[in-house]
Amino acid sequence: MAHKQSIRRLRSWYATLLRLYPKRYRERFAEPMEQTFNDLLRERADEGKGLFGFALWIFVETFIGILREALIMPKYILRPLILTAIIMLFPIFGSLYVADWNWRWYSFVFAGALVFSAALGYELVARRMNNKTYRLAVGVAVISAFAMNWANFAVGIFGEFDDIPTKPFYWGVILIGLIGAAIARLKPRGMMYVMAAMAIAQMTVPVIALFVWPVEMRHLRHVSFPMLFAPTVAGAFGANAIYAALFIGSALLFRRASADRDALTAA
Amino acid sequence: MAKDTTNAPLTPAVLHILLALSAQERHGYGIMKMVESDSQGKVKMGPGTLYGSLGRMIEAGLIRESDKKIDPEMDDERRVYYKITALGQKALAAELQRYREVIAVAKRKSRQPGIAYGS
Repeated sequence: MAHKQSIRRLRSWYATLLRLYPKRYRERFAEPMEQTFNDLLRERADEGKGLFGFALWIFVETFIGILREALIMPKYILRPLILTAIIMLFPIFGSLYVADWNWRWYSFVFAGALVFSAALGYELVARRMNNKTYRLAVGVAVISAFAMNWANFAVGIFGEFDDIPTKPFYWGVILIGLIGAAIARLKPRGMMYVMAAMAIAQMTVPVIALFVWPVEMRHLRHVSFPMLFAPTVAGAFGANAIYAALFIGSALLFRRASADRDALTAA
Repeated sequence: MAKDTTNAPLTPAVLHILLALSAQERHGYGIMKMVESDSQGKVKMGPGTLYGSLGRMIEAGLIRESDKKIDPEMDDERRVYYKITALGQKALAAELQRYREVIAVAKRKSRQPGIAYGS
């Protein structure tokens, strides 16, 4: 009876340990591993041998197995990691050798996380379909969202220095994209509408700003893409139009991918 | 896609698992017990090593999962059974052939004067 309780408790701990395995591995082997562990413990108990030392050995052995499996990374994680490492070399060298480049540690963490999540997002979505146009559409969407996020967080698309708190509105644009993509289940036709919605949302931000902060908008001192746009109301619209145009471009590519898919289905 | 591992030398764990599955399909615990018995207790695998190897062997096409079923000699839990594939049988045969060749070479050499191999 005491053995049964110990076995049940150890099995439950072992099940917790197995959660550390990568998801794909866990889904396939966690249940049989748990059963095998249970069988081994029962055998020990039947032979009247102690359980604790043996269970400890199995826990250590399994933990080593977990490390081994975790190090064998799938390509869709490895590629974004490599890309992130390469891109992050630029700010690292910049901080070391460029006089005015003074990023704090959290800037590196934020930039790395942003690059990695964009690259991982592309890998996870693009690998769903073996269609070049679809992949290109995903690429344009991800790069546009990444650039918009970067500008918004790093310097502000506009308003960072002018008391126009538009940052949350741009998070809203990204949120529309994420929720829309989930609803569309990443299918090309649905994604076309999602990208169009993002473009409309993007252009709505300067309109809202114009109505809510009319005085500040007239005295803008900054917009992103300063080389292209002067800090004026027109400049603010122009900067947003760049991102909106990229989202529209992505929408058009998704429309083409959808047409390709329909043609393939008809054939 | 399964890699062609027919001619590649096998690791001790893979060899023992293939041997355990060569006669009949078995579940994880059954494989462990068979490996222990085949190797006279010299090879002991924990679940981490066993299932790590099983995963790689499935990917290489050496074994495959068969249906879940109850082992009549054990409890009433349904278990995943593993069975050797044709590729696995070929790889096992190739490995055993390699061992035979090594033993043949060792025997030939042991007949030469001045060379003695362990007892």
